Amino acid sequence: MKQINAVKAIALNTFRETVRDRILYALIFFALVVTVLGIILGSLSVGQDIRILKDIGLATISVIGGIIAVFAGTNLVYKELERRTIYIIFTKPVSGWQFVLGKYIGLCLCVFVMVAAMGAFLTLIITISTGNYALPVVAHQIIEVGQELSLIYLELLFVTALATFFSTFSTPVMSVLFTLSIWLAGHLGKSLLELGKLSQNQTLEQFLTVVFYCLPDFAGLTQIRGHLLYGIHPGLEVMLYLITYVLAYVLMLLVLAAIVTERKEFT
Amino acid sequence: MADVVIQATNLSKELTVSLSRRKVRILSGLNLSVLKGETYGLIGPNGAGKTTSLKLMLGLLRPSEGSVEILGEPAGHKGALARLGYLPENPYFYSHLTGREFLDFAGELFGIPAKEKRERMAELIATVKLEAAADTQMRKYSKGMLQRLGIAQSLINRPEVIFWDEPMSGLDPIGRRDVREILARLKETGTTIFFNSHLLPDVNDICDRVGVLNNGKLVAEDLIKNISADGNYKDLEEYFLDAVSDKVRPA
Repeated sequence: MKQINAVKAIALNTFRETVRDRILYALIFFALVVTVLGIILGSLSVGQDIRILKDIGLATISVIGGIIAVFAGTNLVYKELERRTIYIIFTKPVSGWQFVLGKYIGLCLCVFVMVAAMGAFLTLIITISTGNYALPVVAHQIIEVGQELSLIYLELLFVTALATFFSTFSTPVMSVLFTLSIWLAGHLGKSLLELGKLSQNQTLEQFLTVVFYCLPDFAGLTQIRGHLLYGIHPGLEVMLYLITYVLAYVLMLLVLAAIVTERKEFT
Repeated sequence: MADVVIQATNLSKELTVSLSRRKVRILSGLNLSVLKGETYGLIGPNGAGKTTSLKLMLGLLRPSEGSVEILGEPAGHKGALARLGYLPENPYFYSHLTGREFLDFAGELFGIPAKEKRERMAELIATVKLEAAADTQMRKYSKGMLQRLGIAQSLINRPEVIFWDEPMSGLDPIGRRDVREILARLKETGTTIFFNSHLLPDVNDICDRVGVLNNGKLVAEDLIKNISADGNYKDLEEYFLDAVSDKVRPA
């Protein structure tokens, strides 16, 4: 129980810090972008305005959520070292895994609140744009946006774990570069295999095949999101596979981050 | 024989200078023991290795050679850490938290039950005289207020041993007097106190025993009462200056 208390305390502290420090700026930015788009599209497009608004809105949520996860995540440990607050934590009966898990949960909670708030705002704009306030229509919009957001959040869970992992041994700038590279490369999916074949170089082909199997397959996740936009729902089996897939990656990254933290010296 | 609470044996530490990868010896063969209930002051010029010694004792650094035991456990052992309190030098905490939130955070890390934690927080806020600022964010605290809060968090778990790095730093004369009073009360309760300081009059007033660290080596160590008792030294300052110039006269 005491071990959970420490994780909870670190998570709450991370959540408070991120929310009080920077999250509102991102929220305001997103609100402005979507509002402006909603107004412009509402006045210019015929027929497809809601689809475009939803598409752009969800992409913006994904990008802004990713930015928060990457930039807050890569600073997690660095800031504690820079401010020397890490001394306060590791001179108390706190293990590396409690620190890493607490930091990760705190940041995921923050990203969740952020994504949920942006999603709520997007649903509101869509509802206003459609002009149909009937309860079944609004409920349908909420479910549609909610399904998309849960897939976006699943991806962000991974990005946050990646940023947390790199932050345990690298400077923020390098961590951002590593995290963004892997995140973007994960979106290439099978293109990596095709690139290997096109190269006609066996070594490069083998290397890219290894990279493909090591990287998370975000392309698959994006494809499912695309299908959802057109009303094609993945089955329960696919969803369970996706959740297990992401959680396995997250667990592996957090275990590695905990090992690095446990072995770290605080000069 | 009294219990040994802090035991450093042949403790040495080398650190790598980041760019040149050159190794620098910060601490060399430190042998030191502190008894239960004793107040020990480690003094020395800047760069002598005082903070490094403290970090080794707390497990924040690992020794290159030798070993440290705290309360019979190796440095950094979670069981021992649960029984000690630490105040870092020039503490800078989470500026987004209020003083009360920070104490709550420290209490949670120790896993102190909610009711006991609330009572302890109120008691400590009063002890360090931060009642008026307890619900203000720490970004608005002065250096002295941060130091007081740092002292409070180091006592949240009613530690058996406290490690304070420059506890008087940033405090005005009233603050220093208050800290001396806190230390006196802790001494009465049998708490073992280990601290680094530059302020020799405070060390003289508070400590039972003092060690002088210079260039990473313990060059002198004695009971405060012995230093001037045999007439060798006028005061601790004279003892310190002789120690860092390798001139300490045998008692």
